[in-house]
Amino acid sequence: MQCNYCEWRCDLANGKLGLCRMYETAEGGIRERFPHYWSSCIPARIESIPFYHVRPGSRALVIGTMGCNFRCRYCSNAFIAKEDPAVVRERMLRLSPAEVVRKARQMGCAGIVFNVNEPAVSLPSLQELAAEARREGIALGCLTNAYTTEESTELLTSIFSFFNVGLKGMSATFNRDHIGIPGVEPILRNIRRLAAVAHVEVTTPIIESVNDGELDDMARFLADVDPEIPWHVFRLLPEDEMKEARYPSVDRIAAALDAVRVRLPYIYFHNFVGSEWVNTHCPECGTLVIERFSLGCGGDKLKACHCTGGSCPACGHEIRLAGDVAPTWQPAEVRP
Amino acid sequence: MSRAIIDAREWQKVFDLKTGATLAAKGPLDDLVRGVQDRHPYPGDLDAAGNRWVTDTAMDLLERYDPSFVFLTYAQQYFAGRYTPLTEAQWGATIATVYREVERFAALSGFTPVIVGTGDMAPLVAPIDLTHLDGLALCTHWSARYAGLHEPSPADLALLGTLPEIERIVPWQQFVDLLGPCSLDPVLLPKYVLVARAGHMFKTVGGAFRQVRRVPAPAYRIPVSGCPEGVSDSTEVRSTVEKLLGAGRVALIFVEGLGIENFPWSCREIGNGREWYYYETGDAQYLTITTGRHQVFEYPPGYRYFEEDGPGKEFPFSGYFRSVPARTIGADFGGRSIAVGNRSMFMHMAAGADISVECFARNLYNQGTMAVIHRDDKA
Repeated sequence: MQCNYCEWRCDLANGKLGLCRMYETAEGGIRERFPHYWSSCIPARIESIPFYHVRPGSRALVIGTMGCNFRCRYCSNAFIAKEDPAVVRERMLRLSPAEVVRKARQMGCAGIVFNVNEPAVSLPSLQELAAEARREGIALGCLTNAYTTEESTELLTSIFSFFNVGLKGMSATFNRDHIGIPGVEPILRNIRRLAAVAHVEVTTPIIESVNDGELDDMARFLADVDPEIPWHVFRLLPEDEMKEARYPSVDRIAAALDAVRVRLPYIYFHNFVGSEWVNTHCPECGTLVIERFSLGCGGDKLKACHCTGGSCPACGHEIRLAGDVAPTWQPAEVRP
Repeated sequence: MSRAIIDAREWQKVFDLKTGATLAAKGPLDDLVRGVQDRHPYPGDLDAAGNRWVTDTAMDLLERYDPSFVFLTYAQQYFAGRYTPLTEAQWGATIATVYREVERFAALSGFTPVIVGTGDMAPLVAPIDLTHLDGLALCTHWSARYAGLHEPSPADLALLGTLPEIERIVPWQQFVDLLGPCSLDPVLLPKYVLVARAGHMFKTVGGAFRQVRRVPAPAYRIPVSGCPEGVSDSTEVRSTVEKLLGAGRVALIFVEGLGIENFPWSCREIGNGREWYYYETGDAQYLTITTGRHQVFEYPPGYRYFEEDGPGKEFPFSGYFRSVPARTIGADFGGRSIAVGNRSMFMHMAAGADISVECFARNLYNQGTMAVIHRDDKA
């Protein structure tokens, strides 16, 4: 029996486990092995996840599970994503959907965001969580590698209303050698699909001399999908198999990005403390409309939002935002 | 104005510590400090070279700034002990490494060392799961022994009362009466403080759970080396160091994760709390020693820390700290002072030294280093 959640389409017949080790066959179908086990359940600033264009200044409950369908050599969460889920689950939280939603409420979270690993490895649990959250008026978002089948991509759209998709590289060589997948085509297909129906931001970790030469190709592709799609370029913090790798040069990557800024107005360069490339400028007139601090792995945060009614205060151009600025960040006279 | 210099490896930038605003104008110590950071990239919290980095960086800074008071913190063994599966032999080797590094600093610098062990570590027996309560249980800042319980139901309290792993359930006011006062907004405070028995830790909401191997062991008393007779409590260490500074140059050295059982120097045992409460290694313990006063309630166990992270929050590079603590030993000392350590986020706040250099790591992810220049008028 073939698993249809991601593009690996692993054979799960006769007790076999797929690459992610999170699904198995049972009673003629495929079921999750460890439903409702969570590797994370913690409040965080939405900017720290990162979502720069979703409800700025709001707090979200960050959740994750375990296992992954990628084998990124630089994985920063290998102790969750690459370890055997059957072992890892011992230290996880087991919470029902109602409990997760209650935690979000108790900690004043406006949304719930799946982070840490890949949501495709836990879709049935997430479907149940989404149903519960929807009843409580809480929106779900996620970070995903988008290596999902077309059917499962539709499932993602039924669960989540905003996405940050990891576009790690374009070339087959990079994807094979550093990510462990045969090619990027399914990811490109799914970015198009997700961006057509939901808010999408994109994140690309940059490894100098490995995938920095693909920046222009990625920018071209993204601009073709949506000319105002927000793009986060991460200075890779090498971990796991690449722990000894040199940190990418901030100046060289920033210069390379300058060359592609003509293609996309919302390009950010961060994942290091003190980055100066985390602010949003109006695509129309260049006015500074949202200011942020970059705290690297400490999580970015909002510094000020100058938008008026979601638009540039200078020219009125509508700034790409999914949801309003959090009430605490709005001027007192306009707070709901 | 305190300045923060971030070194994210091969890239440095200077900020106002309080506002986070970028600073273009150069201070008199900037080049000196930036050079030190550039020469000493941080190897990482779990890297065996983490403690060597402390000694090397401190010596480099010391030779260029010529301080009379040095504050050091060696923490690599705490991180390694907490999160890596060390055998007893490996743990012993880790202790030997920190011993060598502290001794190397003392020999090279000629400073009189006063060495404080923040408390032993013990293998984790089992976590206490508090995630299914009706109320909200929170552990803050890596605490294993203490959790705050917010809005518990009667059923929660009844259940918790049956758990043998919980040593005591303390109403908040009782906690304040023991160590207060507390001026924090009551909205942030728990109704109860839960106290775990030795070897246990609370499991509450949290992020990306790493396998915990060791937790802080009971530390009603902690070791201190280099203090004269008569010192019996952690609140008295500061005045002792100040007396020693009257006669020469002194280094106050924190060694995390080592207590009376594993402390490799001859030592005195001093109090580390009050009655049932003892400090785990962390900002409250640091501040108690550097100010000479109990400091539990600025950032107390189990408070709703995330509620403070809004528009008015200053000091963006200092984690949950909302101000520079007053009357720390470094801030009050009239001579030159430096602090170096691989305990990130709060060392520059707790030491109050003219210049601090610390790693910038969060949840063991290495982002480089941060230097803080609180004062440059002694340059």
